[in-house]
Amino acid sequence: MKKTFLISIVFAFLSLLSGVLFAAQDDAWLLLQKASQAARELSYKGVFVYQSGNTSKSVQLTHMNYAQGEYALMVVLDGAPREVLSQGSDVVIFSPKNEKIMIEKKRGQNMFPALLPSNMDAIKSSYQALNGALERVGGRDAFVVNLTPKDQMRYGYKFWVDIEFGLLLKAMTLGERGDALEQIGFSQITLMGGQNMDWFKPKFDPSKSYEMDQEAPAKANAADMDWDVAQLPSGYRKVDQVKQSVHGKTLPVTQMIFSDGLASISIFIEPLAKGARPKVGHTVVGATHFFALVNEGHQVMVIGEVPEAAVTQFAKAVNFKNKK
Amino acid sequence: MKEQISALMDDDLALEDAKYLMTALKANGEASKSWSTYHLIGDVIRGNRVLRHDMTASIMQEIAKQPAVLAPQPSLVKSKQVVWSVAASVAAVFFVGLVVLHQQSQEANVAPIEIAQAVPADYLRAHQSMSPSNAAYFIQPAAFSQDK
Repeated sequence: MKKTFLISIVFAFLSLLSGVLFAAQDDAWLLLQKASQAARELSYKGVFVYQSGNTSKSVQLTHMNYAQGEYALMVVLDGAPREVLSQGSDVVIFSPKNEKIMIEKKRGQNMFPALLPSNMDAIKSSYQALNGALERVGGRDAFVVNLTPKDQMRYGYKFWVDIEFGLLLKAMTLGERGDALEQIGFSQITLMGGQNMDWFKPKFDPSKSYEMDQEAPAKANAADMDWDVAQLPSGYRKVDQVKQSVHGKTLPVTQMIFSDGLASISIFIEPLAKGARPKVGHTVVGATHFFALVNEGHQVMVIGEVPEAAVTQFAKAVNFKNKK
Repeated sequence: MKEQISALMDDDLALEDAKYLMTALKANGEASKSWSTYHLIGDVIRGNRVLRHDMTASIMQEIAKQPAVLAPQPSLVKSKQVVWSVAASVAAVFFVGLVVLHQQSQEANVAPIEIAQAVPADYLRAHQSMSPSNAAYFIQPAAFSQDK
């Protein structure tokens, strides 16, 4: 009698524990989901700092969500001046270059603090989410959420989410040993209201001449490729493939972009020109790993903010259909 | 490596400065093959009649493969000439083949460069610009890609 009582108590305790664990997981995912929405829906102004390796840059950010959509302005405060204006999914980058202002137009990406994908389901299969302690970031209280990768094909992440507004305050990329590889976070932030649009313009001298950067890369046709990528690491899917014209190369280079929702990897493939020195081997700059090899007379190069194992696996997964 | 071998043979490289090369020649099959190939080429250019050991061995093998001549031989002197002319033509073909092969391999196998020695800034920029989320691209790509 006593024994069964004990067992039932242990069982109840275990089920309670697992229930709590699952609840914690759900809570953590819910927080991230909220952070993803808040970054797009709220209006805020502040300064964030981006740190990677030895570089550190402060950026002034204004993000407004009016009835007609999202507007953002980023002004890089350290080093080379640079301003980014975005409206909806259109992004324009202004940067001065030799008395001229370079203007680059491109399709939108997930910019800080909207780093998280709008659909969490895409990343749930690759990461485990856990609630951590409460910490203060940029003068605000935040929940900490740890994303642990389920395999060696991606880094871990740590996110700080504002308790009151659900906004993502800080994000950190963690290496395989838990070391901070890259981080980006508000040092100061204010929630905004109002409909004033005066702020939405570049601060650069309008009298300077400007130059539009080259057109966006052309879409690559799958039929033109005599290779495929066999056995993608789990969680990754191809998000795009384009033909890039790379500086100093006469032929366009095919680029395939893969993402697991947070981490992204590019594979560049080009036929090796006669007499060109192919690149081989592996290297790392900050959180970005590079892996290059030569396969069937082609240069294959993989670049990604992922661990070495992932770039290596992607490079070796490229399979040429017409073997010589 | 190959340039060094060539320099060493032409006395453009002091033996004292070629310690690494000598070790490689002893240990590495490819290096010692280049060594003997270069000597062979040098010998042919200078008109030396004595060919290097690798060469002679392969010529003897080729000769051994020739079908035996069953017809009665008119004289001993003439048969020697036939053997030598076969040897000479085999050597000529072999030499031309070597030169062609060497040129081809130089075209196809330009020494690869370690990616760590030349981080491809343009490719990194292209990667950052196409990634679904990449903070770095908007904030600081210029500094990195301009120092190439």
